[in-house]
Amino acid sequence: MQNSKLNIFKYFFIFLIFHFSFLIFNLNLVRAQQVSLSISPPLLEVIIKPGKSLMVAYNIKNTGDPVILQARIVNFEPYGNLGQIKLKNSLEGPIRFSLDNSKIQLERPFFLDTGASDQLLLRIRAIDGAPAGDYYYTLLLETDPQNTLLKDSGSQAKAALGSNILITVTDSGLIEIKPKIVIFDIQNKINLFGKKLNIIDSLSKIPITLIIANKGKNLIKPEGSINLYGSFGEKKIYQLIPKNILAESERLVEASPSANYLFQGKPVSLIIDDFLIGYYHLNSQISFGDNSPTLFAKTSFFVFPFKIFLLLIFIIIIAIIISNRLG
Amino acid sequence: MNMKKQINKSKYLIFLIIFNFSFLTFNLKSIFALNMESPRFKIESASTTSAAGNKQSANYKLSDTIGQTAAGEFSSTGYIVKAGFQYLHSIIPFSFSISNTNISLGNLLPNTPSTQQIVLTVNFGGAGQYQVTVAEQTPLKTLFNQIIPDTSCNGGSETCTESMAKIWNSNNAYGFGYNMAGDDIPGDFISADYFRPFPDLSSSENPVIIMSSNNVGKNRQATMTFKANISPVQPAGSYQTIISFIATPTF
Repeated sequence: MQNSKLNIFKYFFIFLIFHFSFLIFNLNLVRAQQVSLSISPPLLEVIIKPGKSLMVAYNIKNTGDPVILQARIVNFEPYGNLGQIKLKNSLEGPIRFSLDNSKIQLERPFFLDTGASDQLLLRIRAIDGAPAGDYYYTLLLETDPQNTLLKDSGSQAKAALGSNILITVTDSGLIEIKPKIVIFDIQNKINLFGKKLNIIDSLSKIPITLIIANKGKNLIKPEGSINLYGSFGEKKIYQLIPKNILAESERLVEASPSANYLFQGKPVSLIIDDFLIGYYHLNSQISFGDNSPTLFAKTSFFVFPFKIFLLLIFIIIIAIIISNRLG
Repeated sequence: MNMKKQINKSKYLIFLIIFNFSFLTFNLKSIFALNMESPRFKIESASTTSAAGNKQSANYKLSDTIGQTAAGEFSSTGYIVKAGFQYLHSIIPFSFSISNTNISLGNLLPNTPSTQQIVLTVNFGGAGQYQVTVAEQTPLKTLFNQIIPDTSCNGGSETCTESMAKIWNSNNAYGFGYNMAGDDIPGDFISADYFRPFPDLSSSENPVIIMSSNNVGKNRQATMTFKANISPVQPAGSYQTIISFIATPTF
């Protein structure tokens, strides 16, 4: 009887270990999966006649874990005036896309190993009779999430990398240029009784905003400068960055590629950070290529070292008071 | 007596065999093979080759350098192509990384927030604008369509939206959301307690920008913190979704 109880206990003990082994060794492993992709060129501008086609080679590289990718084309439209875009989940317009690769097709998954690179040979064709105008697309390279994490709650990340394609269809080679300066103004003005005057303190930065609207049906590229002229003959020229302004949209145009111009957290075209005194003229001359209209805008402002002046007055008053008391 | 001992011994032996077998069977290392076949496709080879040589023909030659608009070129070929940003004088690849695509929130417990972090990295050489958007394909849900709702943060005056982060530090505020920290993130992520819900693509909500720069440098990095907190009445289950990130350069 004693022996039988002992045996039951032993079986129970082994049974417990057996179940424990189930719990420990049957857990699904969750592995970090890194996605790291690159694409070049990041931007493509095409001017094409209806009925013509061309091919462009995109270089793609996977520096992350092995991945299944899919390439597809979607339309986009400009969003805001800072060069941002809004992707559409569709493909519209008179442009046809296909891949000339032997083993890769659009909207069909393909495999890219770690460290591997490949070329997507994108054929772009404007159909016969395609209406003149601009058509904007993004080539998206998307990962295909696999069902590898299903034990716990959580999510899988799907990554997509884009490259924009700007297509102008024209039969004659002529494009419509209809630019307009929306804003050309300085900020950080002195506020006097709720009214902002074109007066700035010499110790303050002078942010300048230049926004150009494109009222035409083709993209335009501004060329020109923002010029500063002082009353004592000073002159400074800041070249504009020729960024695309898409059809029927606006864009903040910057005047130097070397700095990130943020004023109070908002992007501006240029920040003049020099110590200025006196009356200044600011103008901008902008053209959009050969035989295009030239836009001109100007403003003026007065700069005075108010803070230094007030400090000097304060020091003088204190000095007078002290000298009176001592006298 | 001897007979009984032998039976016992053989029993122990059988248990030992089963026990060892369990080790062998259940301690097998998983092999992480990518699924090469589905009802939609089949990859015949793990390597892909491009059709090199097609880059050139008698009519044209592809070039990665920047072209210039020329009336003669347009009339002869019927097109003009320019690649890259003209003002940069070189073509810089645009790259995007996600440190971990498997975001496990573990076994969710009521009133106990669960978090997980990933790092997003954008490389665009020394200049160039970009944006990264995010959206969820559905709210976190089980196979039986039980849903963890998107967070409203603490609620009341601290109710967050898809475009405005607010404080979410109450253990009695439930839902699923994210926080951002690092380079080029929206200004409403003031601290680690500020969260937003993901835009829901299944409800036709638009993706929102979570990283953007007017003039990006190298290795722009931001950390995204996922957070889920469930109520005591939330049905048990494995809640899943897919978070979609899209990185695009400017035009």
